[in-house]
Amino acid sequence: MEKSKIVPGFMRLRFCRNETRLVEKAVNVLFFLYFSLMRKYAVVVLFVALCGLKIPIALAQDTTLTIRAIEGLKYDVPRFVVRPGTRVHLTLDNYDDMAHNLVVTLPNSRLRVVNTSLALGDQAVKLNYVPRTPDVVAHTATVDPGKSEKISFVLSQEGIYSYVCTYPGHGFVMYGVIYVTRRPATLPPLDKDPNVAANRKDDMADHAGHMPDHPYELKYPTVYRTFMPDSGPASIAVGLTPKQAYCWDAGACRLRYAWTGGFIDQSDHWDGNGKKPTHVVGDVYFRDQGGFPIRFGTADRLPEVHFKGYKLINRYPEFRYTVNGIEVREMIKPLPTGRGLVRHFSLGAVSGPVYFACKSGDGVKYRPSVGKIQDGLVRLPVGTRNFTITMTAE
Amino acid sequence: MTRIGRIKRILIYLFLSVLSVSSAFSSKNFPADTITDYYEVETIQMPKGLTAETDGLAIMPDGRIVAGFHRGEIMMYNPKTKTWKLFAEGIHDPLGIMAVSNSEILVMQRPELTRIKDTNGDGVADEYLTVTDDFGLSGNYHEFAFGPVKDKQGNLFIALNCASNGAGIFPEVRGKLDTLGRPGRMYSAVPYRGWIMKLTPDGKLHPYASGFRSPNSIGFDANGNLFASDNQGDWLGTSKLYHVQEGKHYGHPASLLWKEGFPHLTPIKLPVKMLDSLRTIESVAFPHSRIADSPTQPVLDNTGGKFGPFAGKMLVGEMNHPYLVRLMLETVDGHIQGACAPFLVGSGLRKGNNRLAFAADGSLWIGQTDHGWAGDRGIQHVRWKGKVPLELADMKLTPTGFALTFTQPLDAVTAKQVANFQFKRYYYEYHEAYGSKQFDVQPVAVSKAELSADGKTVTLKLSELKAGYIYELELGKLRSTTQQNLLNHLVCYTLNRLQRNTQANP
Repeated sequence: MEKSKIVPGFMRLRFCRNETRLVEKAVNVLFFLYFSLMRKYAVVVLFVALCGLKIPIALAQDTTLTIRAIEGLKYDVPRFVVRPGTRVHLTLDNYDDMAHNLVVTLPNSRLRVVNTSLALGDQAVKLNYVPRTPDVVAHTATVDPGKSEKISFVLSQEGIYSYVCTYPGHGFVMYGVIYVTRRPATLPPLDKDPNVAANRKDDMADHAGHMPDHPYELKYPTVYRTFMPDSGPASIAVGLTPKQAYCWDAGACRLRYAWTGGFIDQSDHWDGNGKKPTHVVGDVYFRDQGGFPIRFGTADRLPEVHFKGYKLINRYPEFRYTVNGIEVREMIKPLPTGRGLVRHFSLGAVSGPVYFACKSGDGVKYRPSVGKIQDGLVRLPVGTRNFTITMTAE
Repeated sequence: MTRIGRIKRILIYLFLSVLSVSSAFSSKNFPADTITDYYEVETIQMPKGLTAETDGLAIMPDGRIVAGFHRGEIMMYNPKTKTWKLFAEGIHDPLGIMAVSNSEILVMQRPELTRIKDTNGDGVADEYLTVTDDFGLSGNYHEFAFGPVKDKQGNLFIALNCASNGAGIFPEVRGKLDTLGRPGRMYSAVPYRGWIMKLTPDGKLHPYASGFRSPNSIGFDANGNLFASDNQGDWLGTSKLYHVQEGKHYGHPASLLWKEGFPHLTPIKLPVKMLDSLRTIESVAFPHSRIADSPTQPVLDNTGGKFGPFAGKMLVGEMNHPYLVRLMLETVDGHIQGACAPFLVGSGLRKGNNRLAFAADGSLWIGQTDHGWAGDRGIQHVRWKGKVPLELADMKLTPTGFALTFTQPLDAVTAKQVANFQFKRYYYEYHEAYGSKQFDVQPVAVSKAELSADGKTVTLKLSELKAGYIYELELGKLRSTTQQNLLNHLVCYTLNRLQRNTQANP
């Protein structure tokens, strides 16, 4: 008995946005080829197609597969196909952060089972939210996050079966479909399959790239507070133009990195519960190495900083923060030509020397509007309230 | 094919005839007695291209609705012109909004409380000033932030969610990282996750109360008591509503790490008995899946009766059911406890009821989201149509049972039948595992049902009253003298304390 090799397809599915359709088509062709061959040999066969990404094959009436419960009240496998009489060894692997179960239901009974499960009352937990009705073919217990459970069952009759999570609140959203058929080629395409859960079809639609990000066209400069990689968790992504951007850390009150070639892709962060950070689109040419750049009094002591917000001026954010209690404003604009940034600073009244750290080796050449760079430091002339640091990509 | 067609036609005919018969029947023989006769639900048309995961919602002084969405948009809806306008952009999960003036709002977003203002009068915000960011942020997706709500002294309160072991933390965090706070399902590795915080008018943020898991969200009752709802999970056998008081701890241990004077250790490693002794229990337990799976914002019906017969009491949103939860609280032996019941079932309300706000005209605006969990998206608007339904208006503990007050005088025959009042009681255990089953489930017999002279109050004598239990009551087919049927039949009373000194909760 050969076990089908199963590759949980979800992670790939989510990341291969534009490839899903192609893969789907390719898989349909493979289905067809495979079945025309198998029919010829008149062998009872089964196969399982996971997300249309992999076709496991076994020459026996057993099949093994793993279905993951994933973030967003979803099973990673939206549907699968078996031949009648197949014994299915199914593992529910809970990758989500809440409890789930998996209940296999007879054709046309999913909603009935879900509604019956909601009426179990104080028996619900004991019964794992699974009603004792003939509609239920097989089920797991309630599987806690990080845990898994294996069940086996046989589907003898052709038909469209379901697997559904009957944990309260999940059943109307979280389900998949099992086609028990001798003619898998007749299946509708995944994104048009009326039996596939709506939240999985949304995934397909998203992948086709039809959904706009906002109810308006994005205007530049534009500001997003979001989870940025390689920065603190309170970060701000600023798109100066569609092709020039920087990341400003509102926790540390400083510019962290800058890039060209695009802005950001938030689709992963916006998806589901928002576990994944936003991605940078383009090439990072500057990455700060020197820490917070402004120093009062002595050049080597890091000051205490507090973020105070920003004001939009012609859509450019002017950041406000305090450095050892002194108010600082910083506005960053793109270089008129080439890769780089022009940073405008305004300081409150300072007594004593002010330094600006601009160590080389972080990808840019610095040019201060006042003072000279010595040993990676600009000492600002006494009384300087406004100055500019121009950063040009090396 | 033709046979199927014929069967289909017959079925359609049957269906239509049943429909016409039943509608004729109901209009002739029964008065209005479905929720839609009393409340109407309007679904607001959302802007095209908006992913309408409604994080925050509030009413502007001029009556516009301000809503914040998951992708960072803050938009204003004018109910008169039914048009949307963008006010602000780029907010990281604006889960709470408070209107300050027609050009200024406070927004609780993930990293901070922000004052967002249109300073040049063009209707679009240009100033985003940090009101407070004096709390930790680990980069964990579950560190949501809720509020703000304002008390009469001008203090603001915000609530900080714990992190989830569904994901880790960033290599860099904001605030002090303490790895002793990492173990556990919901954790608190930076200050003050799992706390409710108080922002005094001088701009300082103070830790106020601890022990919260996922406090979405907070609100005041008519007497200025602060309440927070919390979600079933680890250390919460079922979802709860807490009466939040300064210095108290409400049971989820993770936040104890940041309590001043508390031993420096991983709180969940303490014995359960000790943790149990540290906590203040909930005012209301929402029995899981019976009442609520994921309760949201408590909001006071301050409409003075413009929203129907429940003025002065609170409502709580619910994510997983297409209804709200109505609260009937009282003070017993010095502590607030009381009952909860589903509200607006069958009204056309969707799920995902995350934010609630009463407008000046007494109508209720509801922002809905799913955020990867159960729910719906968009905004609905609920109006009371002016007629009083037959509903339970209040439930109060007596020395021997409960007094149930209804919105209408009851038909005396049905009201005095004890079979119309089916009680059972049970409790949920305080433990680390996710959720709890119901323990010690027992039916409780009603020995007597007396009807008051005005016909509105039924006083029930129970065979036994025991503190520490939820009393779940299934009401039978009660009718009013006006021949209205009771709409909602389920109510659950959290009996923490027996009556020693019961006083009415105004």
